[in-house]
This record gives sequence, C-alpha cells and structure tokens, in this order.
Amino acid sequence: MRILVCIKQVPDQESRITVDPEKAWAGYAENASYWINRYDEHAVEAALQIREKLPGTMIDIVSIGPARVKAAIRRCMEMGADQGFHLRYEHEDYLSPSIKSRLIAEFCRDRDYDLILTGVMSEDMMSGQTGLMTAARLGIPSAASVMKLEVDLEKQCLYVERELDAGHRCFMELKLPALAAVQSGINRPRYPSLSNVMRAKSTEIAEISCDDSLLDAKYETVEKVLEAGSDRAGLTLQGSTAEKAAALWQLLHERSLI
Amino acid sequence: MDHSIMIICEQSEGRILPVTYELLACAARIGGFYNSSITAVLPGNTPDTDAISGADLLVINSPGLAEYTAEGWEKAALLAAGELKPNIIIIAHTSTGYDYAPRVAALLDGSCITSVSGIELSDGSIRYRRSGFHGKLDMLYKEGKQPLVITVLPGAFPAYDQQAAPGMVRYMNADIQPVHTSNVHFSISDQSNTELEHAEVVIAAGKGIGKAENLELIREMAACFNRSAIAGSRVACDNGWLEYNAQVGLTGKKVSPQLYVACGISGSMQHIAGMKDSKTVVSINRDPDAAIFKNSDICIIEDLEKFIPAFIREAEKHREGRV
Repeated sequence: MRILVCIKQVPDQESRITVDPEKAWAGYAENASYWINRYDEHAVEAALQIREKLPGTMIDIVSIGPARVKAAIRRCMEMGADQGFHLRYEHEDYLSPSIKSRLIAEFCRDRDYDLILTGVMSEDMMSGQTGLMTAARLGIPSAASVMKLEVDLEKQCLYVERELDAGHRCFMELKLPALAAVQSGINRPRYPSLSNVMRAKSTEIAEISCDDSLLDAKYETVEKVLEAGSDRAGLTLQGSTAEKAAALWQLLHERSLI
Repeated sequence: MDHSIMIICEQSEGRILPVTYELLACAARIGGFYNSSITAVLPGNTPDTDAISGADLLVINSPGLAEYTAEGWEKAALLAAGELKPNIIIIAHTSTGYDYAPRVAALLDGSCITSVSGIELSDGSIRYRRSGFHGKLDMLYKEGKQPLVITVLPGAFPAYDQQAAPGMVRYMNADIQPVHTSNVHFSISDQSNTELEHAEVVIAAGKGIGKAENLELIREMAACFNRSAIAGSRVACDNGWLEYNAQVGLTGKKVSPQLYVACGISGSMQHIAGMKDSKTVVSINRDPDAAIFKNSDICIIEDLEKFIPAFIREAEKHREGRV
C-alpha cells in the first residue's frame, strides 16, 4: 500500500507576528521557529499506525514552500516516513489552496497512492481546503475532520469516523484510493526514535520545482492583513500577581459574580 | 439581473435549519451590491417543501440524497450550478459544509474562501473577512476566478428576517447515487453535560495549563464561585485532560454564562464561536498577544500556575472575613 501525507510547515503559535501594510501579508519575527502543522503531525502518525498493521506499506511526505520546509519533511522521516518530496515555492506570500491542490494533484499523478492523509487545516491560515481540493482534482472521495480510520485492503476501502457538530459522529466507508483530513483527537504523535533519526539523516529529500503555469492562475487573493478587531473593552490588570488577584476579585465582586 | 448567487440550504431530514437564514442574510448583503438574483438550493429526498422568503428555492430530489455524503452534496451542487450559473455559492461552515465546499470550488475551478466572518463593502468592491493565525489576525480577501465558493461561520450574520414575499419553489428530480461512499450511519452520542449547560460561571482550561495536574487549579478556582462548572478548549480535550462533553467551541458546546474565565486559551475563532455570548469574559494567559484578549473584558497577563493560587488565596481571605 502506498500512502502520501501532505504536510505544511507553520510558525510556532507563540511566535510574534508583524503586519506589513506594504506587502499586505503577515510576517514573522526573524527568530520565529517553524514546526510541522500540528494537525499534519497527527496525519503522519495515522500513516505510521497503518503501516504497523500492514507491513510493506510505503509512506511518502510532500510539502510546498521555501528551503526552510525541508526541516519539517525531515522531522516526518525521523518519525518514520520513508521518502520526502519538497515542492519548491520560494515566496513568503499567500498561495491559494486552489493552486496548492493543483500542484499536489499534479505531483500525485502516476504515483498511484492508495491513501492520502493530511491535517484538517493549517494552524496559520486555518482554511481546511488544500487536501479536499486535491482529492476532488484527483477524482477520489474524501472526508474532513476524521477521528478514526482503518484500511481494509481486501475490500479496498477506508473506514472513517468523522466528527460532526456537538460531538456527534458519522461513520462510512470510502472506496480506495481516498483522502482523509484528520482532526487532532485521532492519535498521539510519536517522538522520533534514535534509529529513525539516524536513518533520516542519510536519506535524500527529493526537490521538485513548481510548474509556473499553475502558479499564475488568478484565484482569490489576500488583500489586507490586520490585527483582529476587539469585540470587548479589554481592561488589562496591572501590578504584582497578588495585586492583580485582588483587583480581579474586586471587579468580579462589583459585578456580583463572586 | 445577470449576477447570480446560489446558497445551499443546511438541512436535517428535509427540514431547513435556521443557519440557512444566516446564509440568506449574507447573500442579501452581497446581492444588494451586485443586484443579484438569489436562489437557495435544497439537496435531499423531500417531495414537498415550503417556499422561503427572500429567495427562490430549487429542490434537488434524489433517493441518494436521503442522508449527507460529500459525494452526493457535491453532485447536487454541481447540478444546481450548471442550472443557475452562479457567480457566488454560499455554504454554511458546519461539519457538512466544510467537508464538501472546497471540493465544489475545485471541480468548478473557482475560488474558495472558508469560515467567512464578515463582508466589507468599500471603494465599489467587496472584501471577505476571515480570521487566521490562531485568531490573532483578520484577513481581507478579494475574489478571483469565478464562481467564488464561500463558507460562512454560523453566528456571523444575523438571520434574515425581512418580510419579503415567499419565492418560487422548483423541483428537480435527479439520479444521484454515491458510488465511492457506502455504509453511512450516524451516532447521536450522549454529550450532555448538565452542570456546564446550566452553569453561571465557567472556568475553562486550554493548552496553556500544560499538564493534567493543573486541572486541579481550574477546579479549585471554580470552587470559589457558586453554580460553576469547568470546561476546556479542543486541545484540552484532545490531550485527555477533559471529556469531550466539556469542550467549548465551534464543534463543541456553545455556552453563555454570566462569567467565563479562559485559562491558557489562545482564542482561535473556533473557540470564540462557543463562548462569545458570555456576559463577562476574563482571560489569563502569559502571551500578551494571545487573541483571547481581544475578546475579553478583563485581561490578566500572567502565568496561570502563579495567578490562580493567588486568586484563590484572595477569595479565601474574603470568605473568612479577613479583609
């Protein structure tokens, strides 16, 4: 069985973001640290768990972005993935999920993946589009917000449990090949083992340049990035910890809340 | 009118759900700008449906649409789009909507903007607002290739309530059968949490509490208040610190207590969607840029491991009359 996991590298959640009005794009402080998108890490773990049940399964990783993205791909290989592919895109600007999905779908052609996994969304853009669009372009079924999955090779199907609103679940079988966009509750991603770290060091990550004609398509664009609006008149408490605690008690008491 | 907007009704067993009227309000807003015709599309297996105000209704009927599948809804949407030639397609950002909307955009080779929270009209053009970066930033999008598929956050638009005449109802019988999807069934798990649903004070834990042991702090803080309950963000529940029936957010519970205290919660729009109607919001977070502070009445930039014990001591002092 061949599995592809699509991952994205995102800045650490606590990195400072600066808004550049000139570039209409959000920048990160120079010392920002980048990490695998948390949801995608769950997708990698899901792939590894399938391989444990179905030995001989091959797991490929693909990611789009500038040179820094290699570190995230490498990390997935340290977790146990077999091969990494880096689709080079040099710019730090908005790249439409429509374009990304076309690039990934193009990458998938002739590679015969039985299963494609990805996170339900990225932590930075939170669009939740790229995976599902890729599946649509490849003409294969997909499911978003997947909390459980199991492969049945005999039946050539993927059993999935989707999370619905208010804690309800939907169960179904999708014909392989299929794509699942996994939710974070699905598993606990493992830490790399020493042997996998050593192996990943000596494994080459293949670089592929993006098809320029695809990059030019005129999909939606982000025109402006701004600080999130404030819905409430936030009063920031000042002073020592004890002073803030006393001030909070007083404020809550005045509102008859304590 | 040569500008056309198509909305896809959110339904349950053929019944149109209230969020549909929020989509209609969004469509009316955009439609007012482009002078658009607005058609609501209802995929399902319902022979008989009432007309709705403010839009014509196109019912796509097929036995294969008796229950939701991404495949079935995608086919129904494509069929309706072929008929209506929409410039814009509006879908609810619910667990069904976000499951198939991007697919529809890809298959029509249009653009897609998900979880839209607002529409801004300026300089003779429309911008679509949505939140990202853990709620820290808002982004304004400009449409590109048409059709434009948008998913609209539930609660972002007040439901359409204008006294417009009911539109026409048209039925289209289709033969839509999912071929890649089978054995679909649903579980209605018991996610009730009476304590949380009736609480006047909710103390909520997020990723920032760091470890399960710190939940004790959250419980002790809750004990300082009458009629209180504890809750958690998605991460807190994913980590197994709390049961999923205590999860507040877009896919969890919506709460509106007198007081909501967010402890170590970053404040992504998914979480805000579950608690924004709370009367008073207090946030404790050591990250001064945390988005939750934008949605708080009282902001405390502190390490919660230090702050909560200090607050509990303060409350005890008052209870024992030592102040």
